[in-house]
Amino acid sequence: MNDKRLDRLALVSKVWPWLFLGSLLVFFEAWARISAHRSFVFNAYNLQSIGLAASAPLLLAVGQTFVIITAGIDLSVGFVMGLAAVCVAQFTIPGGDTPWILLLSIPLTILVCLIPGLVNGVLIARLGVPAFIGTLGMYGVARGVGFLAAGSGMTVSVNNRGLAWLGSGWTPVVLTVVLLVVMHFVLSQTRFGQSTYAIGGNPQSAIRAGINVRRHLFAIYLIAAVFAAVGGIVYTARFAAGAANAGEPMLLDSIAAVVIGGASLFGGTGNVVGTLIGALIIAVIEFGLVFIDVNAFWQFIVVGIVIILSVLIDQYKGRLGGAQ
Amino acid sequence: MLRNALRCLMAYSTIAVAALGTLPGAAHADAAHPVVALLPGVTDPFYFTMHRGAERAAKEDNIQLLFQVPKAWNTTEQVPILKAFIARHPDVLLVSPVDKQQLIGPLKEAADAGIKVITVDTYIGDGHYQTGKGDADFPLSYIASDNLEGGRVAARSLAKAIGDRGTVYCENNKPGISSTDARAQGFMEEMKKHPNIKVLETQYNEDDANRAASHVAAVLARNPDLAGVFGANTFSGAGAAQGVKNAGKQGVVKVVVFDAVPGIDEQIRSGLVDIAIAQLPDQMGYYAVKFAADAIHDRKIPTYKGTGFVVLDRSNIDKPEMKQYIYSN
Repeated sequence: MNDKRLDRLALVSKVWPWLFLGSLLVFFEAWARISAHRSFVFNAYNLQSIGLAASAPLLLAVGQTFVIITAGIDLSVGFVMGLAAVCVAQFTIPGGDTPWILLLSIPLTILVCLIPGLVNGVLIARLGVPAFIGTLGMYGVARGVGFLAAGSGMTVSVNNRGLAWLGSGWTPVVLTVVLLVVMHFVLSQTRFGQSTYAIGGNPQSAIRAGINVRRHLFAIYLIAAVFAAVGGIVYTARFAAGAANAGEPMLLDSIAAVVIGGASLFGGTGNVVGTLIGALIIAVIEFGLVFIDVNAFWQFIVVGIVIILSVLIDQYKGRLGGAQ
Repeated sequence: MLRNALRCLMAYSTIAVAALGTLPGAAHADAAHPVVALLPGVTDPFYFTMHRGAERAAKEDNIQLLFQVPKAWNTTEQVPILKAFIARHPDVLLVSPVDKQQLIGPLKEAADAGIKVITVDTYIGDGHYQTGKGDADFPLSYIASDNLEGGRVAARSLAKAIGDRGTVYCENNKPGISSTDARAQGFMEEMKKHPNIKVLETQYNEDDANRAASHVAAVLARNPDLAGVFGANTFSGAGAAQGVKNAGKQGVVKVVVFDAVPGIDEQIRSGLVDIAIAQLPDQMGYYAVKFAADAIHDRKIPTYKGTGFVVLDRSNIDKPEMKQYIYSN
């Protein structure tokens, strides 16, 4: 194995999600131009729709990226998002149409959603429960509490100017981008980020290096819960109603985005930009295939193949790296 | 390195463009070739049957029909598909909104873009359109079964099956859902006209057939004279039928189920289910596209159309013309 070929492989594994996203856009653009005589990419509405479709799983996926880098997983984020969606609706209703109520209802919602994060943290960091099991338990608890909080109906309607603004137009997309930039900085430029990678790479040496692993894991499950809460708040803002099952389909999409973005479920690798690309790939496929009128079931197949492909490329790279 | 990446990208786009040739040409909306999009609530035989009815009408009127189904009954699943449809800009959007509140905004977006909206099977707001009142009156029409009437039909059929006397109850999904609530209400109202029939409390199983089966067992333990059960939706019906069978009361306790799911004919023949109330999703799809065609040509369409019901039981299930009323994939 010469160095040159290894370099090339490393490059492929790095750029392939970008290439894939690019070629998807080229494909849909060409299709739109040829058979519908309009543009797919250079169309504000399409971009906004894809942005909105990607932002919902992305908000969950940002927290999930941190969790997965530490070799954990958080299955509870979907229903924590639903819980937040219901809570923010219930907390905002007493304020009527005044936007000021949001200063109370949003922090309160995040506070409520910190509880499942805290419990996850205690279970996983303190009591050594495997992340899969601990967060699966919380998945059920958050789901039940969410439905209880919603009362008898499935959805809780809320009409509030401030909330409506938060959910209108590009606002959810911009909010997501801002949070992404912040978390990208945290993960790539700070000690907190370094420790996250260290814990996922090798927890024993992380401990020896003086990292307080327990406290760090605790913080990471809190981050995941906070992002799930933000996802729920944005959901309620967009649809003027909270629903306890809001995040149910988002959980697997969020994990898929992280994995397509190059993270390994064994921990130690992954980054926020990769997760962003992963979420965009899923959103573009789903939007584009509807746009060109392909049977809905192909979406599952295509996204499934992309996930498998991304893992294969990663493993191949890993094996070569090991052989070197 | 960069050159390699570029070469790779070029190869990709060549393949992408080449693949275009294999795709069927898509018409874009204009007067001669109207495009209608159908967006149901979830992948389900009911909606696939609706799609076939819609296709039949589309063929008759030379309309291009787009069809996409959300993988789960969820706003976060339906709205992205809706947005992709809006990007395609069909002339008319036929949609079964998964939530009567949350879909108002996204559907308004379609209406504002100049797409005519007709709701099928479910509605937004209160289901009364073109009234000039409220924020959800913009759809042109609502085409669905009259669920209240469906409940009455179920009650009449059950009353007849049990000889107009005895104890019955309604096994239901959960409170707060417009369609199943209306069925239960219609059932109760109609049963009031039958003084010799006693109706017990409605049981809610939250769409869990297992729970419905244990409800039947519990009710039977308390009321061994139970004569009939009305399962107000698919899982309630399936669970109730199973519960009656487990109790060894098949044929003694009459089971009426709502919806004619695939395989219902076998269940009726075997006696697991006595009566099925079939909705007509095929008709819903058919009229939805017919209404769409009228709307495209600026003809006035009714703001509501109720499609009827067909009662399936052992007396008619073997007739060949009944086969069309059973939903299929």
